[in-house]
Amino acid sequence: MSLRRWLPWLALAVVLVGVLAVGRSGGHGATSLDGRTRRIAADIRCPTCSGQSAADSDAPTSQEIRALIRERLQQRQSTAQIKAYLVSKYGPRILLRPATHGVSLIVWVLPVVAVAAAAAGLGFTFRRRRSRPSLHASDDDRRLVEQALGR
Amino acid sequence: MSPVFAGAAPPRPRRRHTSLWAAAAVGFVVALLVAVLATSQSASSVEGGSPLIGKPAPAVAGPDTTGRQVSLRDFRGHFVLVNFFATWCVPCQREQPDLVQFSQRHATSGDVALLGVIYQDDPALVAKFFAKQGGSWPVIKADRAKLDFGTTGVPETFLIDPNGIVLKRLTGQVSDAGLEQLVRAAESLRA
Repeated sequence: MSLRRWLPWLALAVVLVGVLAVGRSGGHGATSLDGRTRRIAADIRCPTCSGQSAADSDAPTSQEIRALIRERLQQRQSTAQIKAYLVSKYGPRILLRPATHGVSLIVWVLPVVAVAAAAAGLGFTFRRRRSRPSLHASDDDRRLVEQALGR
Repeated sequence: MSPVFAGAAPPRPRRRHTSLWAAAAVGFVVALLVAVLATSQSASSVEGGSPLIGKPAPAVAGPDTTGRQVSLRDFRGHFVLVNFFATWCVPCQREQPDLVQFSQRHATSGDVALLGVIYQDDPALVAKFFAKQGGSWPVIKADRAKLDFGTTGVPETFLIDPNGIVLKRLTGQVSDAGLEQLVRAAESLRA
């Protein structure tokens, strides 16, 4: 197989990996206390609002959650410790992103499995179409058909 | 028979069951998802709706409306109802007569104490409200308590046992009869 044939796919894979890497690291570069507070609060659900994070909400409870995160960061607690504290009070529903263990893992794994299955299905279909022999009727075939039809 | 069609019939291509397999795979995934969701505990039934149930109550302390320091620890050895409350909250206003009735009935026996926690409100307004509506239990200002107890609004009431363990979380307006039933059930479990 020539390299030329695979080059577009290789380029696509490089772009995809690059985009995923940039997306994964997006916003994670914040090093200031405010930035880190905001980054953690963005993963916390506002307990008194609907569908808003503690970073985006102006509700007093969200403001207190931000103050709590800030305080605990100043006490050199890790992101995991701060989130664990809030989960111990509110339960896992306080987290906007589902946990990456237990039943919640399905939410993360299922889309990946679906995309992989779809890609495999497409690849399989294309390969099968390509390998299907092309049939052409020769002059002899045509003659035989005409004979049979009595022309 | 025409010579064209004489001879053995062309081999019938093996039937591929691609769509059948795809449907079976999708069906399996859906069945798995339904089974997992059906057998997992619903969020509302997890330990009565709070991860604090069965665990030691968070430490709560603060000044009451007269400025006196009050702590939840002061009530160790008694059942305590920790009531998160605000004067601007209509269900809190409605449950106040029931709380007064309940506290008066238990005042002599002293088996159950009430501790109010002010929720986003002015202690001066709370003092006025109590003066008008009745109620002699301490009401403290302890802002961080609502996060420590994982409250999502007002009113919310937590029943704490004499050892300081959280037994129950009640969201919304409580009634005198409901509280009585709850406390009796808790007392009978201890007996």
